[in-house]
Amino acid sequence: MRGRPNLFTDYESEMALFPTTTKRVAVALLLIFALLVPLGAIPGLSFLQESSWLVLINRALVFAIAALGLNLLTGVAGQVSLGHSFFMAVGAYTAVLLGGAPGKTVWGLELPIWIWLPAAGIAAAIIGIIVAPTAVRVRGLYLAFVTLGLVFIGLHLWRNFGKVAGGPTTGRPWPPLEFALWKGDPIISFANDGPWFGVQLTSDAKTYFFLLVAVILFTLVAKNLMRTRIGRAWAAIRDRDIAAEIMGVNEVRGKTQAFAISSFYAGIAGALFAVILGRLIPETWDLLLAVEFIAIILIGGAGTIAGTLLGTFFVVLIPRIVEDITFFFADQVANQGPLAWLGDLFIRKSPDDILGFVSTGAAGPGLSIFQLNVALFGVLIIVFLIAEPLGLYGIWIRVRNYWKGWPFTY
Amino acid sequence: MTTTLERRDAPDLSGAFPTVAYKVREWAQRNPTAVAMREKDFGVWQEISWEEFWDRVLTAAHGLLALGVDVGDVVSIHSEDRPEWVILDMATVAVRGITTGMYPTNPSPEVQYMVNDSGAAVHLAEDQEQVDKVLDPGPDAFPDVKKILYVEPRGIRSYDDPRLLYWNDFLELGRRHREQNSGAVEERMAAATGDDVMTLVYTSGTTGPPKGAMLTNANAEFCMEKIINAKGRTEDDRLPSPSDQVLTYLPLCHVAERIFSTWTMCSNGVILNFAESIETVQTNLREVQPTLFFAVPRIWEKIHATILIKLEDATFFKRLVSGFGLKMASIIGKDRAANGGDFTWRSRLAYWVANPIFFRALKERIGLRHCRWAGSGAAPIAPEVLEFFMGLGIPVYELYGMTENSAVATLNFAHRVKLGTVGEPYPGIGLRIDEETGEIQTKHPGNFKGYWNKPEATAETFTDDGWLKTGDVGVWVEGTHVKIVDRIKHIIITSGGKNISPSEIENSLKTSPYVKEAMVIGDRRKYLTALIGIEYDTVGNWALREGIPYTTYRDLSEKPEVIELIQKVVDQTNEKFARVEQIKKFRLLPKELDHEDGELTATQKLKRKAMEDMFHDLVESMY
Repeated sequence: MRGRPNLFTDYESEMALFPTTTKRVAVALLLIFALLVPLGAIPGLSFLQESSWLVLINRALVFAIAALGLNLLTGVAGQVSLGHSFFMAVGAYTAVLLGGAPGKTVWGLELPIWIWLPAAGIAAAIIGIIVAPTAVRVRGLYLAFVTLGLVFIGLHLWRNFGKVAGGPTTGRPWPPLEFALWKGDPIISFANDGPWFGVQLTSDAKTYFFLLVAVILFTLVAKNLMRTRIGRAWAAIRDRDIAAEIMGVNEVRGKTQAFAISSFYAGIAGALFAVILGRLIPETWDLLLAVEFIAIILIGGAGTIAGTLLGTFFVVLIPRIVEDITFFFADQVANQGPLAWLGDLFIRKSPDDILGFVSTGAAGPGLSIFQLNVALFGVLIIVFLIAEPLGLYGIWIRVRNYWKGWPFTY
Repeated sequence: MTTTLERRDAPDLSGAFPTVAYKVREWAQRNPTAVAMREKDFGVWQEISWEEFWDRVLTAAHGLLALGVDVGDVVSIHSEDRPEWVILDMATVAVRGITTGMYPTNPSPEVQYMVNDSGAAVHLAEDQEQVDKVLDPGPDAFPDVKKILYVEPRGIRSYDDPRLLYWNDFLELGRRHREQNSGAVEERMAAATGDDVMTLVYTSGTTGPPKGAMLTNANAEFCMEKIINAKGRTEDDRLPSPSDQVLTYLPLCHVAERIFSTWTMCSNGVILNFAESIETVQTNLREVQPTLFFAVPRIWEKIHATILIKLEDATFFKRLVSGFGLKMASIIGKDRAANGGDFTWRSRLAYWVANPIFFRALKERIGLRHCRWAGSGAAPIAPEVLEFFMGLGIPVYELYGMTENSAVATLNFAHRVKLGTVGEPYPGIGLRIDEETGEIQTKHPGNFKGYWNKPEATAETFTDDGWLKTGDVGVWVEGTHVKIVDRIKHIIITSGGKNISPSEIENSLKTSPYVKEAMVIGDRRKYLTALIGIEYDTVGNWALREGIPYTTYRDLSEKPEVIELIQKVVDQTNEKFARVEQIKKFRLLPKELDHEDGELTATQKLKRKAMEDMFHDLVESMY
């Protein structure tokens, strides 16, 4: 009710996605911001328009879809899965099988996107349903190991199934991101530069818009799943599966649904990931990728949508930011800029540099930037698990509660 | 069955006496879809429209007819505040019956006394707990009761007493009766007169057994005209309207809650919001954010204490801001108190600075952000507490009245507030202060009809020339405002012959967040002493912060540190009073006072006589 935000006269208003004007305005502003990013129209952030940044942002958007799926499975339903990269691979290879161009060594049906994209999700979901019963038998760490096994089974398959995956070292090309009714010229293409409604856009910008719409759709679905019967059943299973069953929640059905829907998300994301990269080798779908998603939801905040999105952008964009900062300081050190003294503390200039431990050269002495990033993630996961189990979202919650409780503390 | 009855959906009742039921019917015709009341059920505030409300009242009224309730029969209600309470109340008035309410905390013997004294034919017991209070004393304990209605069936289904009737079955009975005898209720309503007794309100009985004060339809009408529709009651002088929200949380059997919730609703169409229970009032207040709010001093003291304790517990930066805010509040409070309740340029400036950073959020937290009129009554309150709330920008006014005069006596009107007084008499009523005894007396159409079946007690309440004796001693302040000294029977005369009003000292003690109860003793004694009950929550919280371990209430109140803490409170109070009025010694009560143990009345007033007997040793140890 107006002026009485806590007076709910029906469940609909209590469960509303955007219950207050403030929230509606915030979401609208965020949307406008998102739309302006590839146009370079945001003062101070116009560099985001550059291809190198847009590619990274696109990658983050794809990862967001996959992370939303894993969040539903692990964050909401409480089923730890290390096999997310496997489900992504299933999606990617289904897509290439249906939509890819046939060659001498590979299969491909050259079907349009509206077939291969949903099929990618559905194929992954079917595998998910097949795997789900094991989650009823084994829990926690054991389930993590079962799903871990999937990754290695998958890797073995992709390496040896050349007709689908291409060569083990070369991979194969994926179909471009374009919309056609059937084989032939596409109606809309996201894969080439050109004007849209009179605005000149790069293929990256077009892909960005496509992915943005997809992420919004998948976010809404995930959010709605969480606040309806299915989501409540998942949360009950997560908190205590035996207690949930006694309350009348069907554990087998709940876990199967969680695996199916999560894998669907992963399949779609896997297909899109391969498509925007263009060519992939089987090794892409390894354990490291799966761990990256675990990192995303732990850093972002398990069980929350906003946290998952935050975590994705954090995890995908931080390496680039670390890189930029490192190069900035390396530059300062090299040219004796005003911040050189700060750079001296960690940039390694020569082999006998005592303080510096980061080197800008790929094979130089000390840690490379890539190694620094990996180390940083390890540290971040440890810190978040110990200090802030609810992740970035938890930090936001604390900030929000501080002001919500004003002028009291409890 | 009457066959001459006009069978129309809405029989014409113009010319009938406008009872509360009549008013509900009018609202239902005028604003059928508008919200009349809300009840929180399964976590959501379920709304009941005027049309539904009247429909249920009409059905319940037919149900009462089906049960054979005749004109002048009594229906007793023993329940927490809930829509069924109001529905049955209105239905009873519609069939010209008499409603009497009981406090949910009333123990079985008191229920038995009141039900039998009133001769109630139909008794509503909310749930198993209240039903047991009727069934446990045996089958013959309630000779007049023909039907016992119950609303919450849990635990009662297996009972086989033939008098039990489930509320829904009762409504079903009414529905059938309504189909066959439509218009029967309207017929009764058309015959209603102003002289009909509509309710019995039992006095809390600080001395002797409770007496049922008879209030008539005309009394209620006068009360609505004088109090609810008083001109100049609020700052903007807007009468209550359907855009106002009221939280119903004090027991409806008390006349004050009846006036400020159900009667205000009937006469002005405000929306009633039923609090889930007394424990959830804070939460419900925050949700509902009422625009009109009445509370007894105990509630104001509790909110005051909660605010102070919670602010003290806040983190550093918040404490910094709230410290500033409280300083501003004290400036504003003093200014307004000295200026008839109005802002001065200085206080307006202070308010303007502190409101966005402090007052606004604080008022939202306690649920009084949209409050445009708040009242305190039914017991004396310390002016410091009112000044505190005025400082926060909550327009709170003390008023005075009693059941026997339909609560019509005095009110602090907006812009003419005098703290420490209960305000000015309503325009056009008779109110005088007896020159000999100093007793306040009233004479107006709100004066009650008498005590139910107690002609002698009734005669004692009126003077020979027909004025109602309130039993309160008062003085005029500047010729316009009335200040209450105390109840006549509470005045202490020390052995030195000095007259002392204990309640002023007690209220001053109770402004401390650490003091819940205080009873000053000293009648026919050399000096004053006090029995003090600590506020368990806040003192417990204080002990926690000071690192004092404790186990129970008793253990806590025996800690020397706690005694020292209360000693400081007593010293502060003593500074405000003359030497003879100072408390020389005090003892802390070893237990929390309780209605069921006979130390308090249902309205949480001290039963002084019983207290002196019960804590005799404690009292004697101070002399």
